[in-house]
Amino acid sequence: MPIVKVLTDGIGEADLHLIDVYRKRGGYEQWKRALTAMKPADVLEYADKSGLRGRGGAGFPTGKKWSFLPSNGKPRYLVCNSDEAEPGTFKDRMLIENAPHLVLEGMLLGAYGIGSHHAFIYIRGEFKEGYRIFAQALDEARAAGFVGKNVLGSGYDLEVTVHRGAGAYICGEETALLNSLEGKRGEPRLKPPFPAVEGLYSMPTIMNNVETLAYLVPILARGWEWFAGAGTERSKGFKIVSVSGHVQKPGNYEIPLGTTVRELIEIAGGLRPGRALKAVQPGGGSSACIFEEQLDLPYDYESLAKAGTMLGSGAVVVFDDSTDFVKAAYNLIRFFAHESCGQCTPCREGGHWLERVLERFVEGRGIQGDLEMLHRISSSITGINLCPLGDSIEPFLKSVLVRFRDQFEARIMKEPA
Amino acid sequence: MTRRRQAFPALLERLRPECEAIVARYEQKHSALLPIMHVFQQHEGFVSPEAIGAVAKMLELTPAVVESTVSFYTLFFRKPVGKYVVQVCRGLACTINGAEDVMRMFREKIGVGHLETTADGLISYEEVECLAACDRATCGQVNLEYVYDLDEKQIDALLAAIRAGTYAAAPMAQTEKPERTWSVSQGASVANGGKSPGARGVQSPDNAGGIGDRSGVIMLDRIVDLGPSFYGATHERAVRESRDVVELVEEENAHANR
Repeated sequence: MPIVKVLTDGIGEADLHLIDVYRKRGGYEQWKRALTAMKPADVLEYADKSGLRGRGGAGFPTGKKWSFLPSNGKPRYLVCNSDEAEPGTFKDRMLIENAPHLVLEGMLLGAYGIGSHHAFIYIRGEFKEGYRIFAQALDEARAAGFVGKNVLGSGYDLEVTVHRGAGAYICGEETALLNSLEGKRGEPRLKPPFPAVEGLYSMPTIMNNVETLAYLVPILARGWEWFAGAGTERSKGFKIVSVSGHVQKPGNYEIPLGTTVRELIEIAGGLRPGRALKAVQPGGGSSACIFEEQLDLPYDYESLAKAGTMLGSGAVVVFDDSTDFVKAAYNLIRFFAHESCGQCTPCREGGHWLERVLERFVEGRGIQGDLEMLHRISSSITGINLCPLGDSIEPFLKSVLVRFRDQFEARIMKEPA
Repeated sequence: MTRRRQAFPALLERLRPECEAIVARYEQKHSALLPIMHVFQQHEGFVSPEAIGAVAKMLELTPAVVESTVSFYTLFFRKPVGKYVVQVCRGLACTINGAEDVMRMFREKIGVGHLETTADGLISYEEVECLAACDRATCGQVNLEYVYDLDEKQIDALLAAIRAGTYAAAPMAQTEKPERTWSVSQGASVANGGKSPGARGVQSPDNAGGIGDRSGVIMLDRIVDLGPSFYGATHERAVRESRDVVELVEEENAHANR
């Protein structure tokens, strides 16, 4: 089984949330090394050459993202996105609660790499415990001199602020997060300007996911060659995958990218006895399903994209033959309709109408022509909104509508005789 | 005037240093809005109109902006809630692992529905989006502390502990008796039959009609109800206009109902 222990090393075994424990295992050594022996550009080189791609959903190359920062002398900010709320994803919460110092060290390295003196971490409002643990870890790190003015006598100032959200899925979208961090409604902004040019307080800002930043620590420790040597040609390195649904051992599993979906399901204990697989949602609530004939797909960005779906945040939800896909579709559509910020009419109205029509199906009161209407509404929402939430509404629904059309048709009322 | 309202000025003075420390963490003071609201909610059990007004002053915003912002976030309760807020995950991974049964049991055993509070003000119940604990489905939170692998035995034990006052998580502050629901928009839609007036009986977006529920008007009401003491002279016009809009909508409603 291709399980690896990189970020997950020691989780569940050692009290990594305590700074002494973390330091005994080599913690903050990379931060010290960066401050004493490396220039920011060197850190950027590690990020770039490792091939590390964004682990939050979009999979954008980290080094490339950083290189978009303009050199205009304005203050720069690093924001760590810990607003994990993509249905099926639970890896960032695990890292924040169990390895807060690793996340913090990754943030410090990232901030140094982009020349920022103030880094923020936006923690999802529901993660009250994670917030408490991270804030405590930050206090410990500050007391040890790793954060603040003139860090370890290097002359480099780096402040870190922990910010807690208050319940809104959309704040995981980077520009919505920035608005929320500025004390506004979490409504996405029109791009461009991109955050790298005009982000927090209209200053150049880089936003990276928790897992992305955490990987900087082992990449600096073991070299970019080590990281780039794992995974596939274009999806390099490792990834924590949250496997849930109808498997016997749901959980977070760290694997080299390119492991097959079939292997992932086996790692998670396989299906329950006597059950048959019906579908797999490979990249969170926003992704289209793949089916049993596609299980040998490598779990990497390109292979999943080629199959018409995506790796997303790395949330794999497995559905066996007990699944009511009408209810499942209703569930996700209701979610997106509920979480739409309401700025863009297609997303707001379209999600609402899909929810309403699917509600009919769940109650067995579908109307002739509804299936066509579901297709029409969902496809007309896609591609015309400010942010990706609107585009996330269609994929799962469309994939199960086509595959399990019989389940939907069975809920359409017969024409009165 | 309620006891909570009377106590508010003293609370405000007590919390002011903490609020100022929060403001100091940011380059721009507006960023402190969410964290400061968390502090007020922690002490009052909900985000009160007085807190909205005070924070608006503190951060140099209008109460309308603060109310609008707060209304965006589901974890801010804009009306009093129970001492224990039980939130059950209705995400997809939980749903395919029995969340519907778990939610039904909670509703029956607590005796209230989604977004409702028990008559004694002890328990508020809500069905929430994916809580990022899908490996421990069905999951939930009680006052934002996780509960995992929920089944009937667990649910019974959890509710018994809450009722006996022995539950592990601390109770929420409760400075005012909660009403049946704390949700502003929910209250409005319950009043009109659970659906927006225009959408009732409408089958397709092709023949949609009507306006949404009254939540926007209620939002205005709350701001207007704060009274002029929270406003400087520059805000008077905004208040007057808000009032005009409320009256206009009420007139229209009265006209429609005739």
